[in-house]
Amino acid sequence: MAAPAISMPSSSSKTESYVDNKRKEDIRQANIVAARAVADAVRTSLGPKGMDKMISTANGEVIITNDGATILNKMEVLQPAAKMLVELSKSQDAAAGDGTTTVVVIAGALLKQCLSLLSSGIHPTVISDSLHKAANKAIDVLTAMAVPVELSDRESLIKSASTSLNSKVVSQYSTLLAPMAVDAVLSVVDPAKPDLVDLRDIKIVKKLGGTVDDTELVKGLVFDKKVSHAAGGPTRVENAKIAVIQFQISPPKTDIEQSIVVSDYTQMDRILKEERNYILSMIKKIRATGCNVLLIQKSILRDAVTDLSLHYLAKAKILVVKDVERDDIEFVTNTLNCLPIANIEHFRAEKLGHADLVEEVSLGDGKIVKITGIKDMGRTTNVLVRGSNQLVLDEAERSLHDALCVVRCLVSKRFLIAGGGAPEIELSRQLGSWAKVLHGMEGYCVKSFAEALEVIPYTLAENAGLNPIVIVTELRNRHAQGEVNAGINVRKGQITNILEENVVQPLLVSTSAITLATECVRMILKIDDIVTVR
Amino acid sequence: MAIERIFKDEASEEKGERARMASFVGAMAIADLVKTTLGPKGMDKILQSTGRGREVTVTNDGATILKSLHIDNAAAKVLVDISKVQDDEVGDGTTSVVVLAGELLREAEKLVAAKIHPMTIISGYRMAAECARHALLQKVVDNKEDAETFRSDLTKIAMTTLSSKILCQDKDHFAKLAVDAVMRLKGSTNLESIQIIKKPGGSLKDSFLDDGFILDKKIGIGQPKRIENANILVANTAMDTDKVKIYGARVRVDSMSKVAEIEGAEKEKMREKVQKIISHGINCFVNRQLIYNFPEELFADAGILAIEHADFDGIERLALVTGGEIASTFDNPETVKLGHCKLIEEIMIGEDKLIRFSGVQMGEACTIVLRGASHHVLDEAERSLHDALCVLSQTVNDSRVLFGGGWPEMIMAKEVDELARKTPGKKSHAIEAFSRALLAIPTIIADNAGLDSAELVAQLRAEHHKEGCNAGIDVISGSVGDMAELGISEAFKVKQAVLLSATEAAEMILRVDEIITCAPRQRENRM
Repeated sequence: MAAPAISMPSSSSKTESYVDNKRKEDIRQANIVAARAVADAVRTSLGPKGMDKMISTANGEVIITNDGATILNKMEVLQPAAKMLVELSKSQDAAAGDGTTTVVVIAGALLKQCLSLLSSGIHPTVISDSLHKAANKAIDVLTAMAVPVELSDRESLIKSASTSLNSKVVSQYSTLLAPMAVDAVLSVVDPAKPDLVDLRDIKIVKKLGGTVDDTELVKGLVFDKKVSHAAGGPTRVENAKIAVIQFQISPPKTDIEQSIVVSDYTQMDRILKEERNYILSMIKKIRATGCNVLLIQKSILRDAVTDLSLHYLAKAKILVVKDVERDDIEFVTNTLNCLPIANIEHFRAEKLGHADLVEEVSLGDGKIVKITGIKDMGRTTNVLVRGSNQLVLDEAERSLHDALCVVRCLVSKRFLIAGGGAPEIELSRQLGSWAKVLHGMEGYCVKSFAEALEVIPYTLAENAGLNPIVIVTELRNRHAQGEVNAGINVRKGQITNILEENVVQPLLVSTSAITLATECVRMILKIDDIVTVR
Repeated sequence: MAIERIFKDEASEEKGERARMASFVGAMAIADLVKTTLGPKGMDKILQSTGRGREVTVTNDGATILKSLHIDNAAAKVLVDISKVQDDEVGDGTTSVVVLAGELLREAEKLVAAKIHPMTIISGYRMAAECARHALLQKVVDNKEDAETFRSDLTKIAMTTLSSKILCQDKDHFAKLAVDAVMRLKGSTNLESIQIIKKPGGSLKDSFLDDGFILDKKIGIGQPKRIENANILVANTAMDTDKVKIYGARVRVDSMSKVAEIEGAEKEKMREKVQKIISHGINCFVNRQLIYNFPEELFADAGILAIEHADFDGIERLALVTGGEIASTFDNPETVKLGHCKLIEEIMIGEDKLIRFSGVQMGEACTIVLRGASHHVLDEAERSLHDALCVLSQTVNDSRVLFGGGWPEMIMAKEVDELARKTPGKKSHAIEAFSRALLAIPTIIADNAGLDSAELVAQLRAEHHKEGCNAGIDVISGSVGDMAELGISEAFKVKQAVLLSATEAAEMILRVDEIITCAPRQRENRM
């Protein structure tokens, strides 16, 4: 570009624009190839028979997962366009929580089609506009296919949650986890705001040991903590009155630096006594309100409890759980329907929460604290996830998160759609016929879009060890005959009516996958240069 | 006789032809770089940072691209600067100005090669620029009197600006957002009171305008989630104990109970401070620094909504829109100006909870909440929207409007051509060159859209020989169309700024006949 333009008659001269275009093509090509490499990497993990990836992170940790978002997140890609696909999967995770692999695979397939469109000389902006149109049309088609669902229809909700779980490592437990996810979400739906679910109201506690079978939904509160009972305090309290405190039961410590000057032996005795008295008076105040369970916020400045205070607390028959994270305080107080107490002077009975039972339960090698039968419990839920090793445990948590997201999607947009590649092949068919009535390049691009969507059933079949071409052509055939809900039944290895097989997913997952993938592809298409900057 | 050396070691000097060539080449390289982003079908660039994190930005905004470039060419820096100035002054046209300057230089280079003195070129360019400005002035439309038409003008301008950006698919929606926001400003160009919040998730269509102020913070535990007729105290104060700020200050005591007393005293101080704050008669307290657990509980007990750790931008803006002042001492309640608003409530956007202050004192204030698939999209959307807002706020003041789509360039080129014919002497070559440079803009727009630029521009020129023609390039259908019917408008102020600053920049670079690069300053060797 630095060559002087003296010899060129005008700015739009043939030679110059040719050189420019060459470079642009190259960059676009490089972007598309890089992005497709990312898509290919996760492609094999799609579907119920998809494979898992083992990722060994820089710090030596090993992760085994089937979750597209997690895989991409851990892959440290550098190429900018490849990075965009990683972002894409993150967005899908945020928007719908499930379908993170699907969205990347669709984007990859679209890019592949774009490459051939570009090479046939269609201007990228024309492709980009056509893709947008096609995506809009696709949403219409999907919405028309969708079946409305009621929140009271627990069966349908469970079905869609188990579809999501079926593709995960923990698929054999889907019968257990799916209803759990549904119950957890439904229990936090606020009747005043029926469309909104805050997944932060569902707390997942992981505990190593046992199997995934032992996973349970706890109506109450679970802490992955031990009861502090070094001095023999109670580990089980019935009719508990619970205080959440943000101060510490330990010798006083001022913000300003202080030191106590001891000059002789008798003074030392006195100081020890004073310390005892100080703590004792605090505990008396606590005891006076009838409180018998203390949850103490973690403090970096001083110990939450000392041996001494534990001793007195044990004597007063108060159960102590220490080191509750500050971030959890809001969740805890919401659940217990109590208020946090920041100062001993404010320790009043009305700030306490009430529960039928607080107990320490030993699970495998660890112990947890359970609070059950909470009076006036807030709209929160706890799920205790168990697993035989850390890898399974983590994967179980991710899978459960996906399932929760699926149910949340259904709460915010109450439509279901068939799974098993049925919507994609139907889209492909309808868009294909729509493309025929369009004029010019648009029609050509929409046709490519339609073809790209076939990647989903194709990959599903491929990952399941079926012959993808046979399956996809048969699927196309069935859809052409009007069987809108015909899809791939991976278990039986054939085409069946997928709705009858209970393979359903929320509409939101499909629509957001299509729109997000299209948006990302359009962005990649429009890039013609990579500039290195500060 | 040979002069030994005038300059220091490592300083270099380039003279005459060579110097001019270096600056031409640099400026044109920059112009060529951003050229492809011009127009509704312009392409985007990836900006890859070499710094930590290797962050990636995807953008179409000329100013953003140029701002972040590494440049080591003096002339190129001039172009980057004019684009920056254009961004600050009018907000849009940042690409156009660079491209026009680049084209002017490209033409000038040819003239220089044909042995025309740079000064002659400059004076020709000046005449041409003046003439072009006159041509535009004659054609401007001013609809300030008619509120209805004016509004539709604004919408059109917003749409035209947005159509070259990422928001183009939803440009109707965003044009309306931008116009609504700017109309609230009632003529002020202070964009401070329009707050843009970005929240990933949802799609661009879900973006909305909220009248009021939204703070991305959480309400403390156990405090009211909704307050009507709020009195707000905005503060920047430390809510822990006031410490003696001398290093090593310490207290010596001889018993544990005294330590407890000191602790008690510290608590008491906090309580006093909180009491003082409460005695202002407020029911909402926003602090820039942390509010610790203890004061938080005190506020909760008093039924006051306390928001901690609001960022500096946030509280300054909050103070501005609610009409309050930021306080940091609380001894004299009567001198502290409180902010007011009708309603404070917690709202949910996507997955996050935010706090909305509605019915604030300053009626102009509003918040635009952008939603989008990813951070890339959101950042780019913010830049685009910012451009649109800038242009609109400028247009509200200077309501003269032109058509877009290469129409103004054609008008100017035609007038400048006339002038060239009338002007005797060498200058006429320069004037002619100016008109060619102007024509380059519609050419590039057409090129970027993948259209046959030579054909289109020729057609356009033929159209413009008729009187009162509104023809411009219709990129969507790929033909020459009527800009009035298509509703493509641009602000006069933007076009004028593009024309004048591009000419000035070109002139400045043309005048250069020597580049002296100073020796880089040596770092002292501290060993």
